[in-house]
Amino acid sequence: MTDARHPDTALTGYVTDALAPAERAQVAAHLDDCVDCRRAVEEGRAVLTALAGHVPAPPELDWGRYRADLRARVQAAPRRAWWARPVPAMVAAGVATAALVLAIHGLDRRPTELAAVEETMLGARLPLLQQYRVVERLDLFEDLDAIRQLDRLGNGGG
Amino acid sequence: MGWWTGSALTQEISDEALCQRVAARDEAAFDLLVGRYQGRAYRLAWSLLRDAEDARDVSQEAFLRVYRTAGSFRGDAKFSTWFYRILVNLCLDHQRRGSWWRRLLVRDDGAGDPEDAVLERQPAPVVDPGDTVGRAQVMTKLWAAVDRLSPQQRAAILLHVQEELPTSQIAAVLRCSEATVRVHLHRAVGVLRKTVRRD
Repeated sequence: MTDARHPDTALTGYVTDALAPAERAQVAAHLDDCVDCRRAVEEGRAVLTALAGHVPAPPELDWGRYRADLRARVQAAPRRAWWARPVPAMVAAGVATAALVLAIHGLDRRPTELAAVEETMLGARLPLLQQYRVVERLDLFEDLDAIRQLDRLGNGGG
Repeated sequence: MGWWTGSALTQEISDEALCQRVAARDEAAFDLLVGRYQGRAYRLAWSLLRDAEDARDVSQEAFLRVYRTAGSFRGDAKFSTWFYRILVNLCLDHQRRGSWWRRLLVRDDGAGDPEDAVLERQPAPVVDPGDTVGRAQVMTKLWAAVDRLSPQQRAAILLHVQEELPTSQIAAVLRCSEATVRVHLHRAVGVLRKTVRRD
């Protein structure tokens, strides 16, 4: 049973030399008066010293083979996929910013040249479009086949 | 630079500097680090796992981790602390994964007493001309008792008596406070003292 008057875990700290000077002095003072703790310290020290002096050796190893195998494992280690490789922070930040700008401003705006071509084509077809009654509501058409049919009609296909 | 090629690297370069070079994929630096730590790594892994093949495999895995993640070594701790942390974690993980079938094997073998199985895995005691047979037997029992400690207590004891790490470094390896390490060591020493007294 642990007695509150005994340093308890500090005894092992005393043996392993892990105590701050003040605590070490307290434990030392206690040991002067406590036979039980003195014995615990002596036994603890004896156990640790015995273990340190008689560490079992592992079975012998062929170090040449060990390192050859390690070399093979290092060379066989799968390289990271390009998307998983660390990217320098500035490059990553630049790419992220560019993507953000594109998402906000780029995707809903077509290139100027493309818009101009489209306007020219629409202009050329304006007389044709004016013949359609439905053209005002063309945006309601979701059926692409119906729109293509209208286009064929406009080209004299029907 | 490739493996085993001549290199300007010398023994004077610190482990931490070598690790930085490994991060830049300097294989000669990696080679030198392996040379410095392979014996300790294998020995500590074997002490924790008590199986030569597992110790070989796990210690190699620790070096592989160093090679892959050297860039994440920040240098605010010693390389040895960082390396021991990788190694001990791998050993503890390995034990957790393998423990269930190991217990099964012990039962299937009819060994019955787990202590016998532990003792069978022990190497012959270190022969010291000054020792008596009785002392050798005590040491064998003592190490068997070390093997029965909890993983954290065993790691703390081994890092202390075998690797001679101070409590502060053991705490860094095990990612716990120094007070916790002291408790681990205290409890472990308590168990070991009882083992010796019973003998």
